[in-house]
Amino acid sequence: MIDNNNSKISVMLVDDHPMVQGGLTACLAFYDDIEIVGATDDGAEALSKAKELKPDVIIMDVSMPKMNGIDATEIISEQLPDTRVLIFSMHDRPEFVRSAIDAGASGYVLKDTSSEEVYFAIKAVAKGNTHFSSSISKMLIENPMKADNEKLTTREQVILSHVASGLSSKEVARKLDISFRTVDAHRRNIKTKLKIETLAELVRYAVNHGLIEKNK
Amino acid sequence: MTLPLRLLYIAVFQVILTSVITYYLVSNEYRELSVKTVKALESFLIKQKEQELKNYTSIALTSVEHMYPSDKSNDNKVKGVVADIVENMLYNGDDGYFFIYDVHGNNVVHPKQPNRVGKSWWDLRDSNGEMIIQVLIKNAQKGGDFYRYNWSKPSEGQQSEKMGYSTMIERWDWMIGTGVYLDDVYKQLNETQNEINRHINRTKKIILVVALSSIFFIFIFGFAVNLSHKRKAEEKINELSQRVIDVQEEENRHISRELHDGIIQILVSIKYSLEATRLSLLKNKQEKPEPLTHAEKNLTFAIQEVRRISHHMHPQVLDELGLSVAIESIAQDFSKRTGVEIQVFKPSLRKLLPDFINTTLFRVVQETLTNIQKHAEAKSVIISLSIQDDWLTLTIKDDGKGFDIQNNNTSYEGIGLRNLAERVQYHKGEFNIKSSKKGTLITVKIPTASFVNHFNEATIRTKNDDR
Repeated sequence: MIDNNNSKISVMLVDDHPMVQGGLTACLAFYDDIEIVGATDDGAEALSKAKELKPDVIIMDVSMPKMNGIDATEIISEQLPDTRVLIFSMHDRPEFVRSAIDAGASGYVLKDTSSEEVYFAIKAVAKGNTHFSSSISKMLIENPMKADNEKLTTREQVILSHVASGLSSKEVARKLDISFRTVDAHRRNIKTKLKIETLAELVRYAVNHGLIEKNK
Repeated sequence: MTLPLRLLYIAVFQVILTSVITYYLVSNEYRELSVKTVKALESFLIKQKEQELKNYTSIALTSVEHMYPSDKSNDNKVKGVVADIVENMLYNGDDGYFFIYDVHGNNVVHPKQPNRVGKSWWDLRDSNGEMIIQVLIKNAQKGGDFYRYNWSKPSEGQQSEKMGYSTMIERWDWMIGTGVYLDDVYKQLNETQNEINRHINRTKKIILVVALSSIFFIFIFGFAVNLSHKRKAEEKINELSQRVIDVQEEENRHISRELHDGIIQILVSIKYSLEATRLSLLKNKQEKPEPLTHAEKNLTFAIQEVRRISHHMHPQVLDELGLSVAIESIAQDFSKRTGVEIQVFKPSLRKLLPDFINTTLFRVVQETLTNIQKHAEAKSVIISLSIQDDWLTLTIKDDGKGFDIQNNNTSYEGIGLRNLAERVQYHKGEFNIKSSKKGTLITVKIPTASFVNHFNEATIRTKNDDR
């Protein structure tokens, strides 16, 4: 959302390549209504930094060493619902775009588009709209995305793994540093996606699929 | 030639050499031994016969000596009696008898050939032309000696070698003699010789059998060793080649990542620097120089090229989003490229598999789709990835014209599929192809045990470590 001070949009960069960070920062510096408030080079670190800085928009790379941008996006949108994530990636495959949208990203911009477009994308997502690079939009039209209602997200899978290993929702909440209600919401989603009713079935499902070990 | 095979040949050569030497030595030794034995036996038997003859003769002489009358004038009468007695002294059946000649070769006694009595046989020769009677008389006059000649054997009526002994009855100048036929001796010697020959032959046979069976066993043993060596070597080669592929895949992944996360990022940063330059020029209301536009265009082209190469080497989708998404991705490309309808079924979970299984299964799909495009003339393809009953199962089914699995071993897809099969088996999985005129079904199974808990180790732990 638009910042109170000078109505500037606060932006955080998450990209493991300092030269890209530098290049983009240099370009965005020409736009007066945008302010780069911080930067980090990994998805895992992005969360704590975002909690601290509470930026309006996070520009998020996908391929990063420890945690990729899509998984990070999912956790950020789970915990900071007011922060918009704009994926900024070299990957132009539709599967990445779909995963990013599933994870809660508001836009997807390719790294080889112009900085003007990045600027417009930032403005759009900050307003609560979505924005995709023109080539991405074109691709989405050519390859209409089938709704992937049954596939668990990484976050959901982590929670399933914990639950199936015997942790209660409270314990999971503590472990992942999220609210009890969020965990419960995830559990409901998991059950809907897998069409499973009971905890016992969840455990069996996780074991059968090699998600957790049998004797756990 | 492998080492064990060479050893085998050396061993066989050794056996043959030993056998030949043993054979040669043994048969030589035996021959010498047999010659010595037969000779010794012969001389022993002859000596025995000689002693016998002497004894018989001395008995004969003793039995007639006491009859010599004191008065010489009675000699003629006694001679007749003595001749009669000697004529009746027989031994050894028909063949032992005494004969008497006077010193002039006139026969006095011959029990077996009475027609000789009273006639002179001074010039009698045997079949060898020897003057038998003269020699016998000479021997007798020397005091008694042995002499071999040919004479008719009474029991057989045929000429046979005879050993005769003659001595004198001094009083009447008679030569008395007797003899044995030597064919018995020779028969005995022959039998001995034959016995020895039989022994030699048996020994030779034993050597031969031992040698042959040794060679046989060496070969059997050698081949067994060789076979197991070969099998081990093949296993090792297979494992090695799989490891080479592992390394290659890892290398590809690494280079692909380097290109994508390194080179491209640098290019992108340059691009933004150029853009910043452009924006800065714009801000200062300056014209944008032509080369800058060129540079930006070329840079965009370079980025696309590097990205294409990186994707070709190793699809990043596989690493970032997991196998089923990567399969969907190439399936969609395939469908767009070929017009073949393609459906993908996948499990609800993601990122369950470690990299090497991911890559292997991805390559199976990739290779199979290439084959389908080239040869199958299929209208639709169904790819299914599912986890059930401790197995992860990947099936790729097309409705193309199929191919003969047996006869296709040498063709491109045969080799490709076989490599993939080996690769899957190397990762403890199962690989199966069924093909008919109605289409081809490829099934790959990986035990859940190969990837159990991988997701937690890769995802949750990383995150926890990071906190």
